Amino acid sequence: MDFTLNAHQEAVLDAVGTLLSRHAGPARLHGLGGDEPGYDHDLDKRLAEAGFLDIAEPGSICRLDAALVLEAIAGSLASSAAGWRLLVVPTLGVDVDGPVAVVPEGHSGPARFAADADTLVVIGDDHVRLVRPDRGAARIRSRLGWPVGDLNGLPAGGVIHDAPVSEVRSWARVAVATEMVGAMQFALDITVQHVSDRRQFDRAIGSFQAVQHGLAECAVAVEGARWLALEAAFTGSAGTAAAALAQASEASKLIFRRTHQYHGAMGFTREYDLHLATLRLLALRSEAGSLGRPAAACAREHWGI
Amino acid sequence: MEFDWAEEDLSYRSELQAFLAEELPGRWEGATAVLGSADNAEYSRRFAGLLAEKGWLTPHWPTEWGGTGATPWMLAVLGEELWSRGEPRGPQYMNVNWIGPSIMAHGTVEQCQRYLPPIAAGDVIWCQGFSEPEAGTDLASLQTRAVRDGDDYVVNGSKIWTSYGDIADHCYLLVRTDPRAERHRGISVLLMAMDSPGLVVRPIPGMVGEHSFTELFLTDVRIPVANRLGPENEGWNVVREALSFERVGAPRWARAALVLDETVRGALEQGRSIDPMAVEAVGLAKTACEAARVLCYRVIDERARDLPPSPHANVARVAMVQAERLVADACAAIEGNEIMRYGSDSDLQMRKSLAAGVAAGTYEVQLNLVSRRHLRLPKG
Repeated sequence: MDFTLNAHQEAVLDAVGTLLSRHAGPARLHGLGGDEPGYDHDLDKRLAEAGFLDIAEPGSICRLDAALVLEAIAGSLASSAAGWRLLVVPTLGVDVDGPVAVVPEGHSGPARFAADADTLVVIGDDHVRLVRPDRGAARIRSRLGWPVGDLNGLPAGGVIHDAPVSEVRSWARVAVATEMVGAMQFALDITVQHVSDRRQFDRAIGSFQAVQHGLAECAVAVEGARWLALEAAFTGSAGTAAAALAQASEASKLIFRRTHQYHGAMGFTREYDLHLATLRLLALRSEAGSLGRPAAACAREHWGI
Repeated sequence: MEFDWAEEDLSYRSELQAFLAEELPGRWEGATAVLGSADNAEYSRRFAGLLAEKGWLTPHWPTEWGGTGATPWMLAVLGEELWSRGEPRGPQYMNVNWIGPSIMAHGTVEQCQRYLPPIAAGDVIWCQGFSEPEAGTDLASLQTRAVRDGDDYVVNGSKIWTSYGDIADHCYLLVRTDPRAERHRGISVLLMAMDSPGLVVRPIPGMVGEHSFTELFLTDVRIPVANRLGPENEGWNVVREALSFERVGAPRWARAALVLDETVRGALEQGRSIDPMAVEAVGLAKTACEAARVLCYRVIDERARDLPPSPHANVARVAMVQAERLVADACAAIEGNEIMRYGSDSDLQMRKSLAAGVAAGTYEVQLNLVSRRHLRLPKG
């Protein structure tokens, strides 16, 4: 085991970091509409051209490098379906281009990227389907930091024969967990900065133990989610994937409440960046739930209960 | 970055499992007390002896003191396998994990020759004389006084919450040798024989096991100056270094994960249904055990690279406490009324989880360290 980046991983993260610093980040998201952004096709194009969206080797069970790239993309608050592309698409066994949305079988209603996706990946209990949302889902007003479409039923057909259904579901879990980790780290970082700078009663509010303990628990929760997600991306283990998503989902509840609380009124202004990360967590958690309630799914993966 | 086990660690684990399957089929029955209990101490002595014969009691020690030069990962495998069987080494893990290494790092040649071979052979039990009635979490305020008198220190004071005090042969004792110095500066470490005249040991009945704790009363106890570990008045640094390696030395998550697994399997085998609320609790508990596991692995990786102790150890320890507590909640959710039966899994885990956030440094102190060292939040 090795918890440090190797030279190749460092180089990849360095390169994607440079790209993201120029073409993603909170200012870019504000430009796309802030908490109701459009889809960032330009970013996807740049990521694809640089080869980052195809970094997972088809056929290989190890998608650690893809997960590391995704964590960076998510941490830059990209308005992109790169998560599905990086971790779910390589499991399908078929070529898929363009933005992707992933929904459970029978889904109706809001879904991230549904209005922008060229392809819908539909995960059922015993099958995976690829369908084109030919009529296009209507873009709906959503203010959780993602472009959201409203699916009014799913087109029939498109079953992928021999698709490894449970693997697809596992990788979807790893993708959502990793995206949560990126957004949570963003929220945690600016909160740590805020409580270190903000002074009341002649001292930084981050020097109060109530605030320190609250943030320390947030940090432990996020670290747990990060390393479980990375481990799951390396091993492809269904049990670890389920645990990673459950850990990220629980952590996201802490992060949402506490980072806003410690920002005071500042945290609910639209000019400030915090809400761009925290609101996203709510959408991600709802998608985590549509993959099976995360904690219960973890119990099921380990004991079949 | 990669998360594979090395070949040598895998084969070590299977060799160890084969030995344990023979010596300890199932879980060690003595694993009923949270801080390890005096109960079954005799079994622990015999078991530690068996491990010593195999070279598995002190594998990470240097060869000159009976070690085999095992890596931190092998030590972690050993810890996981033993804790997930209830920690049959009982009190011995402390000796092996940090008391021995602390003596190696700071002891004189005579002290090493005298104290290390019995630890490596599994023949001896140590206790730690740290906490006092007025010095718990604030350990540096300890008052037990040692005054030089010729070749001896004369020690007066009391220690409390001392596990194994009633069965130990030696005590790793913290005393104040300079009451005028700044409080961290006037502390020394003395290695005390537990049959020293003037020492009285009183068991404190605990809610976790029968003799979980003891209290030590020291009245004019004479301890030779030759038994001082490290320089006079520098004991704080000696003990801090020793304990920095102890935070994840005990893989409590492995034991908690075992209890969870046994409780779930027990319910399934008895055909009892696990309702959705309990399934949710089980999932949360398993998740917490997994998070604690991977966070502990990160610390072991640092140790394997010889990096200095980092706040990652504090992060891992917080996660371990949370895992113990969530496993207690899950066991209670599965077992329902069975918690009223003394000795049921849910009853025992409830008791253990209470101690998890107190023993070996409180949860709150760990959070302080995470906020200061990991998040770098300003000091109060």
